[in-house]
Amino acid sequence: MAEPEAMDVDVEKQPEEEAVRDKKGKGKASKRFEIKKWNAVAMWSWAICTDTCAICRNNLYEPSIEYQANPTGDPDHPGLSIAWGVCGHVFHLDCIQRWLKTRSACPLCNKEWEFAKIEKILPGGGSMGVE
Amino acid sequence: MTAKTRVMKEYKEISRSQADEAIELLPDERNILLWKGLIKGPQESPYEGHIFELGIKVPDSYPLAPPAVHFVTKIFHPNVHFKTGEICLDILKTSWSPAWTLQAVCRAVLALLSAPAPDSPLNCDAGNLLRAQDMRGYSSMARMYATRLAAMPQGSSIVEQPHPSSLNTFKEDH
Ligand SMILES: [Zn+2]
Ligand SMILES: [Zn+2]
Repeated sequence: MAEPEAMDVDVEKQPEEEAVRDKKGKGKASKRFEIKKWNAVAMWSWAICTDTCAICRNNLYEPSIEYQANPTGDPDHPGLSIAWGVCGHVFHLDCIQRWLKTRSACPLCNKEWEFAKIEKILPGGGSMGVE
Repeated sequence: MTAKTRVMKEYKEISRSQADEAIELLPDERNILLWKGLIKGPQESPYEGHIFELGIKVPDSYPLAPPAVHFVTKIFHPNVHFKTGEICLDILKTSWSPAWTLQAVCRAVLALLSAPAPDSPLNCDAGNLLRAQDMRGYSSMARMYATRLAAMPQGSSIVEQPHPSSLNTFKEDH
């Protein structure tokens, strides 16, 4: 797969306000706009290849199964966010959080899980954090 | 509580694309958390030409916890308990990942039939034969039991094959 490369770029240069527990996320402010474009490209290629959350098997542009079964209306619900691991794999935030209580490994590649980034799913199914 | 929704999604995916002709997965009519898996003995294994039934029980915490899978059809294999049908397979225990599906589990069981692991035997007779490198002995035993106890497919598809032994064993055979 070509995606992990795209993710590496993405992880290293992502804007600080979007970084969650990202140790490398100290990007320079002057580069921010280019970086956002990079983000868009990286995420778009991701969206094509991995549009399904492997844990609940819902589309990553729609809420998690858990949220759909129990919609709270709270926009900060973790079922309305998706999380990237440093390995490049993406899941709904609540899906991966629940799994991490069992084992701290990525469900797809079995590498030690570390959050690279968390983004909200925008209503209407668009992409996130992009101009 | 989401286990049913997740399994329903798998059910739809399976019915959309009966992708794997070596595997047939059928949910219980009244309980979507109980499944019957029919797997076709892999080529070049002593199980070739026979169909084996798996009983699959999906826990409420699925997919965070693995399904409980056992052989309903008796099978002579080092990693399957001959009487209970219990399967020794790491992905059904410690190596489980929530990214697995029931179909992927069946595929893993098929892989186990092709590549038995004699070092952690649930069936010591089968394990001993393999550890003694007695492939012929193991194969002929496995084939003999399969011929006696497993169904044979008619034609190329396993879909049409009735399973007289499978109807009442789902819950009892634990
Ligand atoms: Zn999910
Ligand atoms: Zn991963």
